[in-house]
Amino acid sequence: MTIDIAFIVEALREISKVIPLTLFMTITPVLLGIVIGIIVAFVRIQQIKIVSSVLNFYVSFFRGTPIIMHIMLVYFGLPMLVDSVANLLHLKIQSNSIPILFFVILALTLSAGAYVSEIIRSGILAVPKGQLEAAYAIGLTFPQAMRRYILPQAFGQSIPNLTNVFIGFLHATSLAFFLSIKELTGVANIIASMNLKFLESFIAVGLIYWGISIIVEWVSHRIEKRVTAYSKGGFSS
Amino acid sequence: MENNFDVVLIARVLPTLLQYLPITFEILVFSILFGMMLGIVLAIPKLLHIPILKQIITIYISFIRGTPILVQLFLVFYGIPALLKLIHIDVTRMDAMYFVIITYTFSNAAAFAEIFRAAILTVDRGQMEAAYSVGLSGSQAFMRIVFPQAIRVAFPNIANTMISSLKDTSLAFSIGVMDMVGRGETLIASTTRAFEIYVALSIVYYVIVIILEKVFKFNERYFNRYMPKELASQ
Repeated sequence: MTIDIAFIVEALREISKVIPLTLFMTITPVLLGIVIGIIVAFVRIQQIKIVSSVLNFYVSFFRGTPIIMHIMLVYFGLPMLVDSVANLLHLKIQSNSIPILFFVILALTLSAGAYVSEIIRSGILAVPKGQLEAAYAIGLTFPQAMRRYILPQAFGQSIPNLTNVFIGFLHATSLAFFLSIKELTGVANIIASMNLKFLESFIAVGLIYWGISIIVEWVSHRIEKRVTAYSKGGFSS
Repeated sequence: MENNFDVVLIARVLPTLLQYLPITFEILVFSILFGMMLGIVLAIPKLLHIPILKQIITIYISFIRGTPILVQLFLVFYGIPALLKLIHIDVTRMDAMYFVIITYTFSNAAAFAEIFRAAILTVDRGQMEAAYSVGLSGSQAFMRIVFPQAIRVAFPNIANTMISSLKDTSLAFSIGVMDMVGRGETLIASTTRAFEIYVALSIVYYVIVIILEKVFKFNERYFNRYMPKELASQ
C-alpha cells in the first residue's frame, strides 16, 4: 500500500468544508465556559457556604473525568431528565426533538466552565492584593475595581492558559464523531470509509487540526503581547 | 423501556467494570514509561541545539500538540501497518492494544520532552559551574546537582500529564481495545441502559484521578523537602 497524495489533497478540500462547524463547536463552549468560569471562580474565591462546595465538586468532577464521559452523560442523561420533567408537568416537549449538536455543545460548555474557572481563579489570585486595596483607597467599589483593575490583569496572565483550553476544546470536538456529528473527524471518517482510504483521510484531518492550532497559537501570542503591554520593562518582563 | 434512573444497576456493573481496570492501567503505565524514555531522547537535541534534528523534533512536538489524540490513534492504527507493509511485515492481525500503547507513547513523549527541557533550563547555570569547580565530571554534575533540582520543577507537570493521559485512555475503545470503556460499551448493548453505565465509568475515573492527585501531592512535598518552607508551601 502506498500513500495516495492526490487523495489527501481531495480529502483536505472535502473536510475543510466543515471547519466552520468545528470552530462554532469550539468557540461557543469556550465563550460560555468563560462566563461560567468567571461566576464559579468568584463564588469559590468568596467562599460562599454550600454553593462553594457544590461548585468545588462541579469543578473537580469535570476536571477529573474524560470529556467523552461528559458528552455521553449529557447525551443519555438529559433526555431522561427532559422527558420526566415534561411528563410531570404535562408539557409537550419531547427529548428526541433536541438536535444532537445541542448535547455536544452543552457537554463541552459544562466541561469548559470547569477548566476555565480554575484558570480565572489562579489568574485573579495572582494579582497582588495591594491592587484591590489601592483601588478601594481611591474610592472605587468592588465591581468597579474588579472590572477596571483586577480582571484585565487576571485575563492578561490567563491568556496562555486560555489558549491551551481553546486548543484543547478544538481537539475535544473530535469526540463528537462518536455521536455521528459531521464535524472534521466525522467527515474524515465518512470519506475514509467511502473510499477505503483511512490513512490518507486521517492525515488530511490531522493537517487541518494542526493548521488551526498553529493559527490559534499565533493569534493568541499577538493578543498576549498587546494585553500585557502595560507590564513591559521593569521587573516583570 | 422504563425511563427511571436505576441506581442499583450502577452498583451492579461497577465490579464488572473494575475487572477491566488493569488494562487501563497497563496502557497508562507502559505509555508513561516509554513516553518518558522517548521524551528524554527528544529533549536532548533541543537542549544541545543540534541542528536539523532539533527542527524535526520541534515539528514533531507541534504536530502532537496540534492534533486530537483521537486522530493520532487512527493515524497510528492505519499508518503503522501501512509503513510496516513496505518492509514486508504484516501486522494487520496485531492486538489493538499495541497500537494504543504506541499512540499514547508518542503523545506522552512530546509532552515529556517539553517538560524535561523546560525543567532543566530552570536550573541556574551557576549550579553546573559550581559542580565543575568542586571537581565533578559532566555526567556526575548532571545526575547529582542538576537533575534533582529539575525533577522538582518538572514533577507537577509530569503529574498533570499522567492524569490527562489516564483520561485519554478512555478513547482506546474506539479502535477496539477491551478496556473499561470498551467493556462498558458491551454492557450498554446488553442492558440498554447507557446513562447508568456512563455514570459508573465516570465514578471510576473520578475516584482514580482523586487518588492519583493525593499521591502526587504527597510526592511533591517529598521533592520539595530541601526547599525553604515558605516556597515549598506554594
